[in-house]
Amino acid sequence: MRLPLLRRPERGGSPHRFELPRRADVSTLALYLVAGAAYVAIGVVETDFLLSWYVGAAYLLLVVWLAPAAVRRLR
Amino acid sequence: MSWAAHDLEPYAFQRHLKLKVAFVPLLIGSYAPDMMTKWFVYGIHIGGWKLKASNPAQFHRGWPGVGFTHSLLWGVVIGLILWKGFGSKLWGISFVVGEWAHALTDTGDTVGTMLLFPWTYHFHLGAWAYAGQTGRLVDAGAYFSGFGGMWDLVWIVYGFFSWRVLTRHYFERYVMAADSFWPWAARRVPVTALLTFYRAAFFYGTSRWIAWTIWAHVVHHYPYDLTWGGPHWVHAARP
Repeated sequence: MRLPLLRRPERGGSPHRFELPRRADVSTLALYLVAGAAYVAIGVVETDFLLSWYVGAAYLLLVVWLAPAAVRRLR
Repeated sequence: MSWAAHDLEPYAFQRHLKLKVAFVPLLIGSYAPDMMTKWFVYGIHIGGWKLKASNPAQFHRGWPGVGFTHSLLWGVVIGLILWKGFGSKLWGISFVVGEWAHALTDTGDTVGTMLLFPWTYHFHLGAWAYAGQTGRLVDAGAYFSGFGGMWDLVWIVYGFFSWRVLTRHYFERYVMAADSFWPWAARRVPVTALLTFYRAAFFYGTSRWIAWTIWAHVVHHYPYDLTWGGPHWVHAARP
């Protein structure tokens, strides 16, 4: 008797099917949402902040990567 | 003219083409037509000098002008240089995909693009007003009051629906695997930094869409006009 093949779902899920984020994804999302909220707040007050892609990328690297890495190192 | 679509479209292509495209040249291609020209469309002050095109729409999209940067042929020329000159077919093709997406997206406004340059006919749907000649701030107010801003919103919603393309797993499995640039960069910079860089355009496009919308409609009360070719309270340039 042949048993049906059981295939483990692809880790990370399929990008072609909508799935709700898991706990680990939510913590990353939260960090980006906080960074985004601050970026929007600064940009609404000072629109020059919104004009440069380089400023946006540098801001994101600072807030999402460098600052958390520095905090982890200090602990 | 689009304000956020060019940031977001590459993720949609990445989602569907996976290993067949390289993200960096795809993104560069998506930005390329405006990369060296937008400053002269809006004008800048250097000391006591103001540098600005006398006819911004003509300069940006027309001929004579640099409108050829929004043509299909321009994408192919740069793509061929990347392929034959620098030896990367993947980068060449990816650049073409990004540049063509930009050129096609910009046919949505009232000026449109010379898609088939050297034929100088402007293909344009006229769905939203081209108002670059009014300066950056009025252009922002107009763009985020008409169909242009709504078209950007479509890409944002699509991006959130496809959020898995922004995950570390997807980045490592498809984006890094497709292009030797990323492993090369990963030997010099932590992967977390590269992942952040990969997500930057999505973050930038989405965040500035929200910020400009708040700026235009909460701070300055520009009226929405979601009619074809709108907003009609601004003078729309035409070819």
